[in-house]
Amino acid sequence: MRRRFQVLLGITTVAALTVLSGCSADSGDGADQPPEGALTVYSGRTENLIGPLMDDFTEQTGIPVAVRYGQSADLALQIDTEGDSTPADVYISQSPGAAGYLADQGRLQQLSKKTLAKVQKRFEDPSGHWVGMSGRVRVMVYNTDTVTDKQFPKSVFDLTGEEYRGKVALAPANGSFQDFVTAMRIQFGKEKTQQWLDGMAANESPTYANNTAIVEAAARGEVPMGLVNHYYNERAKVENASTPTENYFFPDGDIGSLLIATAVGVVNGTDQASEADKLVAFLLSEQAQEFFANETFEYPLAEGVAPPHGLPPLDSLDYTSVDLGKLGEGFGETLQMIEASGLNTN
Amino acid sequence: MTEVLAGTHARSRRRGPGVLLGAGITIIGLLFAAPFLYLLISVVRSGSVLDVLGSGAIGRPLLNSLILGVSVSAAATVLGTLAAVLVQRADVRGRRVLRIALALPLVLPSYVGATALLAATGVGGMLPFIPRPVGFWGAFAVLTIFTYPYAYLPVLARLTMIPTSTEEAARVLGRSAWPTTWRVLLPQLRPAIAGGALLVFLYTLSDFGAVSLLRYDTLTRVIYSSRLLDRDLSLALGLILAVLALAIALLMRRAGVGAAPPLARTRWQPTITLGRWRSAVSAILLLPLLIGVVLPIVIFVYWVLRGGTTVGVGYSGWGDDLSFLVSPLLGSASAAITAGVVAVLVTLPVAYAVERRGGVLSELSGSVVTSVFALPGLVVALAIITWTLGTPGPIGSLYQTFPLLILAYVLHFGAQSLTGTRSAITAVPVRLEEAAESLGVPWRRRFLRVDLPLLLPGLLAAGGLVMLSTMKELPATLMLAPIGFETLATVIWGAAEDGFFAEVGITSILLIALSGVLTWFLVLRKEFHDTQT
Repeated sequence: MRRRFQVLLGITTVAALTVLSGCSADSGDGADQPPEGALTVYSGRTENLIGPLMDDFTEQTGIPVAVRYGQSADLALQIDTEGDSTPADVYISQSPGAAGYLADQGRLQQLSKKTLAKVQKRFEDPSGHWVGMSGRVRVMVYNTDTVTDKQFPKSVFDLTGEEYRGKVALAPANGSFQDFVTAMRIQFGKEKTQQWLDGMAANESPTYANNTAIVEAAARGEVPMGLVNHYYNERAKVENASTPTENYFFPDGDIGSLLIATAVGVVNGTDQASEADKLVAFLLSEQAQEFFANETFEYPLAEGVAPPHGLPPLDSLDYTSVDLGKLGEGFGETLQMIEASGLNTN
Repeated sequence: MTEVLAGTHARSRRRGPGVLLGAGITIIGLLFAAPFLYLLISVVRSGSVLDVLGSGAIGRPLLNSLILGVSVSAAATVLGTLAAVLVQRADVRGRRVLRIALALPLVLPSYVGATALLAATGVGGMLPFIPRPVGFWGAFAVLTIFTYPYAYLPVLARLTMIPTSTEEAARVLGRSAWPTTWRVLLPQLRPAIAGGALLVFLYTLSDFGAVSLLRYDTLTRVIYSSRLLDRDLSLALGLILAVLALAIALLMRRAGVGAAPPLARTRWQPTITLGRWRSAVSAILLLPLLIGVVLPIVIFVYWVLRGGTTVGVGYSGWGDDLSFLVSPLLGSASAAITAGVVAVLVTLPVAYAVERRGGVLSELSGSVVTSVFALPGLVVALAIITWTLGTPGPIGSLYQTFPLLILAYVLHFGAQSLTGTRSAITAVPVRLEEAAESLGVPWRRRFLRVDLPLLLPGLLAAGGLVMLSTMKELPATLMLAPIGFETLATVIWGAAEDGFFAEVGITSILLIALSGVLTWFLVLRKEFHDTQT
């Protein structure tokens, strides 16, 4: 009797394996299956923010593109784990940190001089393995009804002052805020950065889950100001032009208005190097850069394309002082410092 | 009755798996051991595990993981068990709907659930008087609400198999409802309860979404935050987590089993009449639903109605075209159903070996299958990448194909399937097999007429749990799916990444709806009819 049960179980196991292998034949049924020989892109930018450009590229060049979307850091880890067998030809990152990691692991190719020449040196890997594509700027969003010009600080360091008590919202769990803290630590040292974090916590700065929540709270007048990325307010304006919020850019290259670049690089060992180069060149072309400026409200980093309407010029922002490639370093330490400040419980 | 019950205690005759079954479960066990071997080899290669152990970097996160795991599994188990007993044994109001709805908090990915609850609470939220759930208490509350169905579903499945006659007999002898229920039911439920508690504990160890948003520093959070900056640390912590999970799984290898008396298919009748407490108890049962399903849905609807931005190509609110969700919907459904079926088939031999044959090999295979559940999805995905591309021969061509994705789900969620398949096996009493045999019933007929109906509730519960988990899985899906293959979870992730909350909202509502429908059709409907009619 038991033997029969055993035989039956054996059959089901075989059946399971058959189903498993049978599925491999069906896997081509997916709707968006890319054609054979497509250029493979691993993108840390989401489809919403770059998909249309990929379609344009294929239309213009006839080169089919297959994009895997994911977290920038996870995709970098994936390419590193895949090693020489990686299907990826091009890597796109939301922050310089993950691109820097891949470059350090020797997984990115040296980009051509022609490509690198399109972007100012300060927005690219010093060794030329990745190039900045678009930029996000840290700003202070404020409610135009409750905040008058007199209250604007010269520097983000002034925000620990008594006059800002309880008035400046932060999102300590947000990646961009953490990048900003890391940059501050690299530029000004651990002690001064911890002092600033402690000061913001002691100043009863309210904390929110993310940037959008801060912009909304500011629009409602619930909190007068908040530190966010610049494009959230631009998006809110598109939705509702009369939203009573504006961005304040810290002047004179203050770190409060740090620019964080998104990055693109060509993966080592690609068998489609020339197609990959074409894609990188396309992403730095006027057309793509205008997409970033007009559709996602980011700063175009290739020279000669104007920033989104109403934003201060690139040259007025802070970027020179911090090696963007170092943003990923000591991330755990940044988290510990934020934790130690007590901001998380505000 | 007593004879039948006695017949189910088959363990005295366990003699280990035979050659064929032994070979089968060895292969399956090795498959599930792949993530462990990946971690072990990577750590040995980097040679840094001693440095990490000595650095003290693991102390606090390890302790936090254990504290959170134990407290969440205790709370979730109590909640899940109470809920199951009440909807299955008491005359609760609206129990038809409650039975299904109470399973639903499981379908929300923890990071989506946490995002919604964070948005609802605290300064500026819809419910500003409720403090924002952060730190230990936040992670504890949120994880308890989203994991209690791991205990609820097995206990519920168990209850449908236990006839109410014993409880009724006890009551006829003059005992009151509650003490009877506990004294008679609890011993029979204990294995299912332990199985649920183990699943909750292992899930809590693996969770990244909730603890990262709610800022509680567990092992898994450190594994993620150090994945690029300090690979050695990340891998060593992964190995420590794996060893911990394996140890717990071995310790609790008896969990999730237990003999069920057959012939449970009687008309449903409440054995607990709540009397004047009826409304109050029914209302309390609504509470986990309010927090775990209704409140998130309200937030999602609010996001959809409020609308979003028109950046890129995202969904921007009510009235927009929804056709972009068709392909992810089909992707989620096909991946989830396939993974559910394959997981049941793959774990069934292991379940049979563990329950009917025993022996070291069976126990070890079972424990390995169970413990993979505690690993973060990222680690499972990286292990599969390494093994697939590192193995010479044709296996590499499977990389980033649908079957490999299914394998990833099956490896990661095999524990949930094993819990169900084991209870399915125990539902077939050994004596019944022997009775049929002695009566000369052909085995095929016996299987279809006798065994399969008894196996079915457990198998459906097994497949159902895997299905629900697959539907919300993210890291392995992003890394291993064929390019262009989308699921609702990947859409939700992308939208959340960009801050497109209207899109997060509409997609999450769809995910809950799809999960609800599949749960109803595949898991609960059958039992429901059996117990209602």
